[in-house]
Amino acid sequence: MSERKIKIDVLTLDSVQCAACGYMMESIAAMPPDVQEMIEYKEWSIKNQAGIQKFLELNGRVLPTICIEGDLVFESVIPQYEELIDELAKRAPTPEMRERILSLRDKGFDFDRIKENLEKAGAGLHTRRDSAVE
Amino acid sequence: MAKQMLIDAIRGKRTPRAPWVPYAGVHCAFVIGEPADKFLKDPQLLAKGVVETARKYKADGIPLVFDLSVESESMGLEIKYWKDNVPSVQSHPLSDKTVEEAGLKVPGPNDGRWPVLFEAARIAKPQLDELDCALMGLACGPLTLASHLAGVRIFTDVVKNKEKAHHVLKFCAQVVKKSVEMYCDMDCDIIAIVDPVASQIRNETFKEFVHPYCQDAIAVIHERGKTSSFFICGDATKVLESVCQIGTHGFAIDEQLNLTFVRDLARKYGVGFGGNLKLTLAMSLGIISPREDAIVSLAAGGTHGYVFAPG
Repeated sequence: MSERKIKIDVLTLDSVQCAACGYMMESIAAMPPDVQEMIEYKEWSIKNQAGIQKFLELNGRVLPTICIEGDLVFESVIPQYEELIDELAKRAPTPEMRERILSLRDKGFDFDRIKENLEKAGAGLHTRRDSAVE
Repeated sequence: MAKQMLIDAIRGKRTPRAPWVPYAGVHCAFVIGEPADKFLKDPQLLAKGVVETARKYKADGIPLVFDLSVESESMGLEIKYWKDNVPSVQSHPLSDKTVEEAGLKVPGPNDGRWPVLFEAARIAKPQLDELDCALMGLACGPLTLASHLAGVRIFTDVVKNKEKAHHVLKFCAQVVKKSVEMYCDMDCDIIAIVDPVASQIRNETFKEFVHPYCQDAIAVIHERGKTSSFFICGDATKVLESVCQIGTHGFAIDEQLNLTFVRDLARKYGVGFGGNLKLTLAMSLGIISPREDAIVSLAAGGTHGYVFAPG
């Protein structure tokens, strides 16, 4: 059975149109591969109905916001690498995963796979009013 | 339409009514039935879209383009074009290199899409003058440009690796200065430094990494007799007092701020303010009534240094 991943929801206006939203998304997409294995994330653009519902469900207050495991963690602040690592570690489902994440604190961002990671997260793909988010 | 009224409002003066600016951007492409990617690369279409949109919405001012990838593209960064959105920056050459190692140079009027903008401005400006509508030039701000060049790493570097961040921002300041010079050469009436990500940092970081790197560009705008503004997006509450002190004649904000709070702060510093119409909630999604939103905004903004505009 595969290990449960840490769930990240990024509430945005639109990561293409809004630079702040884009770099919020990129801060997650640039996490190194060892961290990528432990997280799953998605962009929720407020331009479509699913995004609005997610914003309401998570009690969002500002855009952009990074939510980790349902908590509004980074609200209108693009996080530093270490801040992200620490907040992910706090919400890891097991002590082992927490230790694994903290061991990557000195690793730093990895820019080699950003494009594929952003695509996987649906960044910029659901920004029309009639967009459906799977 | 009333260009001077808009200039007066941005400069924090009283006006007979609140002047109006639709930050139309690639919506101009929609207005003339063209895809955004084609529109942004063709000076004839660009000019046509801007002028028709200004006429359609009876604008007192309109940006030539609202596209923060222009500077990056003209330095050779990879850009992704979209049919219904602004281009996005796809590569970050300074994520692992210095400015010198990456071979970056401050772009000039012959680089990237700048020739398209010059030609579009040449066509559009007299038509906008005839409509008494101001032409606005929007330069990518230093921190947003630094994010494009160095990627999201810049937000860690401004705290943990300040020397490196200053190195990048110093170069960005030169690019912003050159951009505003070019918008002056296009005879734009109003020139704004647009730094949306500057709301996503702490106030101390804004003072250290945004304020100083805007000063040369602002000096150029003022020396050339133009009107200056600073645009910021998102929840900029924590940095708004610093925005008021940055040295531009006025500033613009998005829909996430409380307009009464913004108005009081702007008046304290004697600068103009604008924006805040609920672009997403009202105009795009219709969750709240655009009409009521407009009425509330006009009441809060008043006619003392306020520009009625989307956020």
